[in-house]
Amino acid sequence: MKRLRFRSMRNEMTDQLGDKLNAQLADQMDAMSDEEKFSFAEFNAAEAERGGYSGYSYWGSTFRAFRQNKVAMFFLVVMVVLLAFTFIQPYLPNQKDPLLIHNDEWGLPLNNVPPCEEFWFGTNAIGQDLWARIWSGTRTSLFIGFAVALVEAVVGILVGVLWGYVRKLDFFFTELYNVLDNIPQTLLLILISYVMKPGVDTIIFALSLTGWLGMARFIRNQIIIIRDRDYNLASRCLGVSTGRIIVKNLLPYLVSVITMRMALAIPSAIGNEVFVTYIGIGLPLDTPSLGNLIQTGRSLMTVASLRYQLFFPVVVLALITISFYIIGNAFADAADPKNHVR
Amino acid sequence: MKATKRLLALLLAAAMTLAMAACGGSETPDQTEASTAAAPTETAAPVTENAVFRTLYASEVTTLNYLTTGNANEFGIAANLVDCLVEYDSYGNVEPALAESWEQNEDATVWTFKIRQGVNWVDKDGNVVAPVTAHDWVSAAHYACDANNDSGVFYTMSGVIAGADAYYDWTAYQLALPTAKDGTDEDGNPVKLITGEDGEEQVLEEVPEASVEDIGVKALDDYTLEFTLESSRPYFISMVSFGPYMPVYGPFLEECGDKFGTSNEYLLYCGAFVLSTFEPQQRRVMTKNQSYWEKEQVFLDAIESTYNAEASSISVTMYQSGEVDYADVSSDLLSAMMEDPATKDLIHPTRSDTSYAYWYLFNFDANFDEEYEPENWELAVNNENFRKSIVHAFNRMPALAANDRIDPESMKNNTITPAAFASASKDYAYYDGLAAYTDGDNFDQELALEYKAKAMEELTAEGATFPVKMLMCYNPTTSNWANECQVVEQTIEGILGADYVDIIIQAGPETGFLSAVRRTGNYAFMKCNWGADYADPETWAEPFSADSSYSFIFASEDPETQALYAEYLQLVADAKAITNDMDARYEAFATAEAFLLDHAFAIPFSISNRSYQMSDLNVFEGQYASFGVASFRYKDQHLYDTSMSLEQYQAAYADWLANLAG
Amino acid sequence: MAKYIVKRVLRSLITMFIIITILFALLRLMPIEGYFENFDKMSETQIQVKLTSLGLMDPLPKQLLRFYNQLLHGDLGVSNVYRRGVAITEIIGEKIPVSIKLGLMSLCISLAVGLPLGILMARSTRTKYKIGDRLGTVFIVIIQAVPSAVYHILIQFAGSQTYVGKEIFGLPMLFDESNPKSYILPVLSLSIGSIAYYAMWLRRYMVDESNKDYIRLARAKGVPGGAISRRHVFRNAFVPMVQYIPNSILFTLMGSLYVESLYSIPGMGGLLVTAIKRQDNTLVQALVLIYAVISILGLLFGDILMGIVDPRISFAKKEGSR
Repeated sequence: MKRLRFRSMRNEMTDQLGDKLNAQLADQMDAMSDEEKFSFAEFNAAEAERGGYSGYSYWGSTFRAFRQNKVAMFFLVVMVVLLAFTFIQPYLPNQKDPLLIHNDEWGLPLNNVPPCEEFWFGTNAIGQDLWARIWSGTRTSLFIGFAVALVEAVVGILVGVLWGYVRKLDFFFTELYNVLDNIPQTLLLILISYVMKPGVDTIIFALSLTGWLGMARFIRNQIIIIRDRDYNLASRCLGVSTGRIIVKNLLPYLVSVITMRMALAIPSAIGNEVFVTYIGIGLPLDTPSLGNLIQTGRSLMTVASLRYQLFFPVVVLALITISFYIIGNAFADAADPKNHVR
Repeated sequence: MKATKRLLALLLAAAMTLAMAACGGSETPDQTEASTAAAPTETAAPVTENAVFRTLYASEVTTLNYLTTGNANEFGIAANLVDCLVEYDSYGNVEPALAESWEQNEDATVWTFKIRQGVNWVDKDGNVVAPVTAHDWVSAAHYACDANNDSGVFYTMSGVIAGADAYYDWTAYQLALPTAKDGTDEDGNPVKLITGEDGEEQVLEEVPEASVEDIGVKALDDYTLEFTLESSRPYFISMVSFGPYMPVYGPFLEECGDKFGTSNEYLLYCGAFVLSTFEPQQRRVMTKNQSYWEKEQVFLDAIESTYNAEASSISVTMYQSGEVDYADVSSDLLSAMMEDPATKDLIHPTRSDTSYAYWYLFNFDANFDEEYEPENWELAVNNENFRKSIVHAFNRMPALAANDRIDPESMKNNTITPAAFASASKDYAYYDGLAAYTDGDNFDQELALEYKAKAMEELTAEGATFPVKMLMCYNPTTSNWANECQVVEQTIEGILGADYVDIIIQAGPETGFLSAVRRTGNYAFMKCNWGADYADPETWAEPFSADSSYSFIFASEDPETQALYAEYLQLVADAKAITNDMDARYEAFATAEAFLLDHAFAIPFSISNRSYQMSDLNVFEGQYASFGVASFRYKDQHLYDTSMSLEQYQAAYADWLANLAG
Repeated sequence: MAKYIVKRVLRSLITMFIIITILFALLRLMPIEGYFENFDKMSETQIQVKLTSLGLMDPLPKQLLRFYNQLLHGDLGVSNVYRRGVAITEIIGEKIPVSIKLGLMSLCISLAVGLPLGILMARSTRTKYKIGDRLGTVFIVIIQAVPSAVYHILIQFAGSQTYVGKEIFGLPMLFDESNPKSYILPVLSLSIGSIAYYAMWLRRYMVDESNKDYIRLARAKGVPGGAISRRHVFRNAFVPMVQYIPNSILFTLMGSLYVESLYSIPGMGGLLVTAIKRQDNTLVQALVLIYAVISILGLLFGDILMGIVDPRISFAKKEGSR
């Protein structure tokens, strides 16, 4: 059964292609006069160079392939809206200050107010507006995520390329990696939190300190796979400089995987921030972040009427993560030239 | 189920009657009867069979060695395992425990205790090992005064017991000697040098030899114990229920060596309970000591504690499903749970603790980053009108409400020494100048603005810039502190205006908070706390002494501040000298304390953080003392089948206050 | 091969030496206040005495030498804060079995559920609506998107406090070694993440593999789909995953921070964080040492296992690549 179906599908595809070619040919034939039809075609160098994929543009095809993925397009829209909203939210009318404590007429805080018209997401335990805190926290977390991903990409690619391509450095970097990889991140984080003031810069620094290791190793493994391929050998034989080989031959090949890893590095940095807050060395409460909002929400899990304080930040975090994840994967698929030909 | 409800209704009615009775002056015989019946001990029937109190705990002890630990979590367990010379009833009256009687000499420098006979040391399975004798206190003192044992509670004997410091210094010297090198000091004399923690070489001062026999704790015979003090301590009895004043069986201690107190096998028991199971980070069980000398006062058969790192998140749920008998209700949850019909009648506060107090202090030795303008701050803080403007602008109610939404008023503390801490002929907080503070409140918007105007004028003349930056730090591990800071900032800036002061909140490091912030003066204005070591106002003068690590008034270079501080020190010295007349002594200490408050050197804030709980124990049955380990004891407490409600608590609290030792 | 292993072990020893030395220096940078319970009330002498008795006043190289000397005698030292005076081997010896037991249970479940799920998803990519693949992807994405700190506590509450969990199955909230029912929720919590992980990677590798030319040929020749996916695709796709299995087994002994703290499991989970925060240096050193040994051994076993499963991989060539 399956065999049959496969065959028929194959035949169908071939037939379609054949029909298309025939139609094209017929069109051209119609446009020519008889004389033309029977004259010799002259040799045209440009024409000969033209391959089967005329007008092929790598990025054009990538975006075309990406656009065909409807789920990814949906999440792209979600992400753009989310990002845009996060940044314009403070400038919208009727927004509250995330740090302002709202008091009732007797001067006591309006704490743990469930979501209502005044406070869309309710208030927290000391009467601050959760809606404002969540968006302010999302801004902080996204900033941390982007910054860490950027450092990870720059340092990771640089080290990874050197490690993979320059054989003399292999031993050194391998040992360096083994050593750094085995020093517990928790220890570094706690040490840093002692030496530096808790704050966004500290968190970014702490998470970047070891974050690039994974990226470097990944790039290095990819480079090793492709560095001895024939076209690179050819370039080397022709005396092309190492730098040029790396930039022109190796990196373009890795663009898709690098972007994917970067897309995934953002949510993973945000997730790490949650972990860091969990072990008690996160951002102070007067700098809202998704990490400390979730941590606060977690401790309120036990009372059903307060679970909204956990639910809202988790939903925002999940949306961000899912968007980046799906878009990253879809982009990696779309950027793979193998997928450009159907 | 029905029976419980009816019982509750009855209890509630009785409690309300009592509350009314407590308010009204005259009592009819009927009401008196009702009020006796209202004590939950008598109305709610305690669980008598298999009374096991189950709890969760999130922080594990590192040692059970009560002779070395200064951690409340740790000596809180020991309090139930080993008895002291004296104990307290639930109203704070001293009662004989392992000492049957005691007497002091005329100037309160020699104290003699008659030790109870027939009390035994038992092991974790309850087997009798040896009798408790006076020698056991001598062993404990010798152990704690030996630097080799590195006791964290030696400070309670240091400067108190004759010969304690001499012996400690001698043993410390012996300990340091092997690592010391020979060298010379500036004058070329041969000395011993050691490398300090900063890597620099320090001269190791030579210490005269001291003998363990010279420590002023002696057993005159098996059942007579004598303490010789360095100086007169009329309140010495309040010092003997803690750390090195607890007994230890000498031969056993020697046998265990370093292992003493590391597990339940390496500990002997003479208290109400024995630690029958000790599995760190897992479970511990305290079982009733079957050979206890006052067995009839122990109503719990066992206390089972299960370790859970997230106890604060889940114990409330587990209490409701009946899996534990105790749950802490954090202030985040409080208001929501008080609205929930399922939980609102189960929550009540813990009994207030007057041995701990919090104040907001100004730092006179600014040692923080240039960006927060330390010089400008020092100008401002040395101006009395500036300090007063802050004092009067600080409305403490919203800040207290961040910790306790339901009854913030009751946490308020208006003096440096908390009210109801100590009393001679009346409560210390009502002596001399303190009475006005005790009954008043610092918050006064108009006065604040008045002082602001004066301060602005004076400070502008001195060249200060506005707004004055006030760096305020908090420890992120202390629950609610961050929240409180945000409230304080908003309150003070709201009244004085952001053009006058700019409070900057900063989280300190979690590890080493005190050494990084308070001890180094890395703050401008911050909440600080102190715990009493004994029942005398002298203990509350220590954080303001000239060698303290609080607020550094002594380091101020401003002549005006220096003059004020010198005056204060003189007042304290005068007070310390009075030892024969408690009234005069308290009067003098109160004068000194009022002097600090008059010149706005501190803003009293609250007594110890009170928390809310759901607990099947009655908080008022337990022993009560504002120092030592008494309040950690489970002795005298019954297990009930439900938790007190807030109304019941308030009724019982009124009753308790009326009977409080005073 | 023996030569290769010996060489790798020797190199690992050097790596470990460097790790321990760096770690040693890092730990000495921690504030001294962490060593004291009531730093505030101690005099300078007392602080000095305690630091001396912890051996912290000696010069660093001397401390390091002492540590290595102990290590060579198989002595990991004695805990000085976490449980003062108790041998580290004793502390760890009590905790490791608990973590391993739960870890292996969940590993078995994750493999037993995760692998079939991955195969199902991979095969479903060739069907018209890809329903299996889509559902599986939704599951994987959700597990990745919700922080584990959150879904563990959700599982605990949903499992033990709702009608179904509490009344019908009688699942307790906390772990109790003698009650088999209390294993269900923690093992479920531990497994759910790795199920998603195994399914995701197996699907990825299988999809990649099934696009290879020899599979296309097999299909073109008419080999039945089931046989292709069993005999060719799965076997080849599983090879890169085999490498991680020894690691997964070994790492079960380090436990899980979140799950063990939530369910009161006396395992290894939170030990490292606690030890670092309370500055129990000897304990941190011992744990990091174990951690390093495990990860180095895990990689070694992984490589060996891969060589056994996939004869195309030879050790001689692999050398130097990691």
